[in-house]
Amino acid sequence: MIETEHLTKQFGPLTAVNDLNLRIEQGEFFAFLGPNAAGKTTTIKLLAGLLRPTSGRAIIGGYDIQQEPTRARRLISYVPDLPFLYDKLQPMEFMLLVGQLYGMTRADVLRASQGLFDLLDLDEARHHLIETLSHGTRQRVAIASALLHNPKVIIIDEPMVGLDPRSVRVVKDMLKARARAGVTVFLSTHILHVAEELADRIGILNRGRLIAIGTMGELREASGELGALEDAFLALTREEQREEAAESA
Amino acid sequence: MNPISFFRLLLEANARMLQRRIVSLRQQSWLMVSVIVTFVAGYWIGAYIVFHIGFVKLAGWPGLGTILLDRMLYLFFAFLFLMLVFSNMIIGYSSLFKSTETQWMLTLPVRHVDVFSWKLAETTILASWAFLFLSAPLMLAYGSARQVGWWFYLKVFLLFLPFIIIPAALGSLVIMVVTRYLHRRVFKWMLFGSGAIALVLAVVLVKPMESARLQEAALDQLLHNSRVALKPVLPSYWVAAGVIAWSERLDWRGTFFFLVLLSNALMATLVCVSASGHIFYSGWSHNQSQGRFQPGLPVFARPITLARIAFLDRVFDFLPGMHSTTRALAIKDIRTFWRDTSQWSQFVIFFGLLGLHVLNMRSIAYDWGNVFWAAFISFLNLGAISMTLATLTTRFVYPQFSLEGKRLWIVGMTPYGLKRVLLQKFWLSSFVSVVITLSLTLISSWMRREPGWLTLLLAATVVLMSFSLCGIAVGTGALFPNFGSGSTANRRDDNPAKIVSGFGGTFCFVLSLAYIILIIGAEALPFYFYLPWVKGPANAYSWAVIGSWVFVSIISLVATSVPMSLALKRVESLEL
Repeated sequence: MIETEHLTKQFGPLTAVNDLNLRIEQGEFFAFLGPNAAGKTTTIKLLAGLLRPTSGRAIIGGYDIQQEPTRARRLISYVPDLPFLYDKLQPMEFMLLVGQLYGMTRADVLRASQGLFDLLDLDEARHHLIETLSHGTRQRVAIASALLHNPKVIIIDEPMVGLDPRSVRVVKDMLKARARAGVTVFLSTHILHVAEELADRIGILNRGRLIAIGTMGELREASGELGALEDAFLALTREEQREEAAESA
Repeated sequence: MNPISFFRLLLEANARMLQRRIVSLRQQSWLMVSVIVTFVAGYWIGAYIVFHIGFVKLAGWPGLGTILLDRMLYLFFAFLFLMLVFSNMIIGYSSLFKSTETQWMLTLPVRHVDVFSWKLAETTILASWAFLFLSAPLMLAYGSARQVGWWFYLKVFLLFLPFIIIPAALGSLVIMVVTRYLHRRVFKWMLFGSGAIALVLAVVLVKPMESARLQEAALDQLLHNSRVALKPVLPSYWVAAGVIAWSERLDWRGTFFFLVLLSNALMATLVCVSASGHIFYSGWSHNQSQGRFQPGLPVFARPITLARIAFLDRVFDFLPGMHSTTRALAIKDIRTFWRDTSQWSQFVIFFGLLGLHVLNMRSIAYDWGNVFWAAFISFLNLGAISMTLATLTTRFVYPQFSLEGKRLWIVGMTPYGLKRVLLQKFWLSSFVSVVITLSLTLISSWMRREPGWLTLLLAATVVLMSFSLCGIAVGTGALFPNFGSGSTANRRDDNPAKIVSGFGGTFCFVLSLAYIILIIGAEALPFYFYLPWVKGPANAYSWAVIGSWVFVSIISLVATSVPMSLALKRVESLEL
């Protein structure tokens, strides 16, 4: 469902994403990890079609995001770390706008929104202006609007930041349920236990390069650490840094 | 999704949001709303009267009345066109390439070209409405001088619609090409370079006239220099020619120019939208990919070293006695300003306009024997400088406190508190304003060979005005902050133009203008006694000068201290 072929993005002399080759199947929950400035958000923006790759390509559901952007985006829902919402609209009005922009009828939007509002505990907020909502509630509105049109691919960047424990639980359950229903979830996060708990496979990016990819078991094996994901992550990124230092020396 | 449905949905959402913004005015103070409404109405009436008197006087000029009147119109639309292109470029850049809404739209299943078209329409409205609003009294006065019927205004409105589209398409096209092919730092230096070259050329080329031939020379020069506005290839020519034709009841000629404008507006839109299909998205991506820049030129390739970072600190070393917090905040403000594209580009344009104005004043010479005439021109100059300063302080100083937004707690939690932040912003902005306005005033006085006493009077006034206007801007900025929406964590409104466009920004501007009118009015009043037909007591002028200066000092003190004291009190109890 998501495929990247030699995907590379350079910002001047800096290679933010370096020759990334990924293949994520339908219904797979994929977690994308990496230290700060590893290139996670750049990769996500390349997958969402917000950035043009320097070379290589990203394919979503069989459509090249650069060649056939409209078709590819019809399949995607992208939730950035700081999502855009219209402050002077109410959550339900925003849902109606987004749903109709994806070609849904008003009745379908209202029906689907009700379910999502119940699940995400947004019923009380539905008639308040978005500008008056807390960060966590806004984040939940953004997630609800992203799931409204039943996307085939969910690309989500740090969704748990600012959410209270109950909301974190709800969002995790919802994403997992979507993956079970055949939706491909591409989640970027710093919270390792979320990745460990939810992901079918995990990819670790460091300085733009994919340094490890696999299931939890495969990552433990590759790192030689048998403990939690944190140990494997630290071991793999440390090893990569050591190699780079040796190369530059 | 087809473009029609896309535009309809966005239009509905925007109409609902606009309605909510208007309704939210009810929550504002009744007094403030009344002040703003009165001022706007006052502007319309005042501008109409001034333009009407001017047009009637020009129309009555023996043998040349109609030519002068028409030439004024050609010139006005030529400048309006230029301003609209600049305005569209500035707003278009923010709207097309910096807005999070555009990023969101680019993830929707709609074509890039549709996103661009929507943003082009939005830019056109945002960039043009104020110009049309401000020029409306001029058109009313022109129509009244020409004694036209009501249908004339309706036709002129129709003529304006294609006219505003052409600069919008042109400005958006330019900004799209610049964003796609140039790095913003290269563009910044190009802009500054062009500004410097233009300034040098203006200094070299603009020559003062000899006072003996003043009236004839002024007329000759006006007619000669304004020929550039008569080029039939200019959209401003078409709109002016259309207005003139309809005012003379030459319906077919007016309709011809309307159709010329309409066809060119459609063509410009077609070219712009077609180009967007090729370069808008790549420009967007290019703009987002400019985090680090090393194009190979040695000046850009230099690594950012501690020595470079410390440059500003070294400059501030020359200001001993400054508190370390004030110094740190001032350095932070200067750096933030310099690195924010949307800030300096507008600042350069404002500053450029002021510079042009001062240079233009050089070409006006007069008989210094007539004190009233000399003072009249000098106060007009002072009015222009202070009006531009009020625009500068409202646009750049007013949003400063709001811009701190979610970062306010950093300073708020220190032992120095927010009071020091406010005072630092007041002193820094006042210092910069004094440097700018005082230099311009002294340069223009020197160029016009003004007598020493008048130079001193004007210099003292601009210094007072700089402090007062900054006091008003900093004070109202803290009294009516716009931290964006929602909780502290959501305060992400980092667009100063958006902060200013709110209620507080309008109030700040209105207060500033009211202050300027009071000050210039009070200072100009004593010169009334120099009018040949005014007979007063022998020492009337001296007493009037003393009285006006007492008044000016008191008003300036009040204008500076009241908003600042209220703001200082407000930040004491501000919940971060």
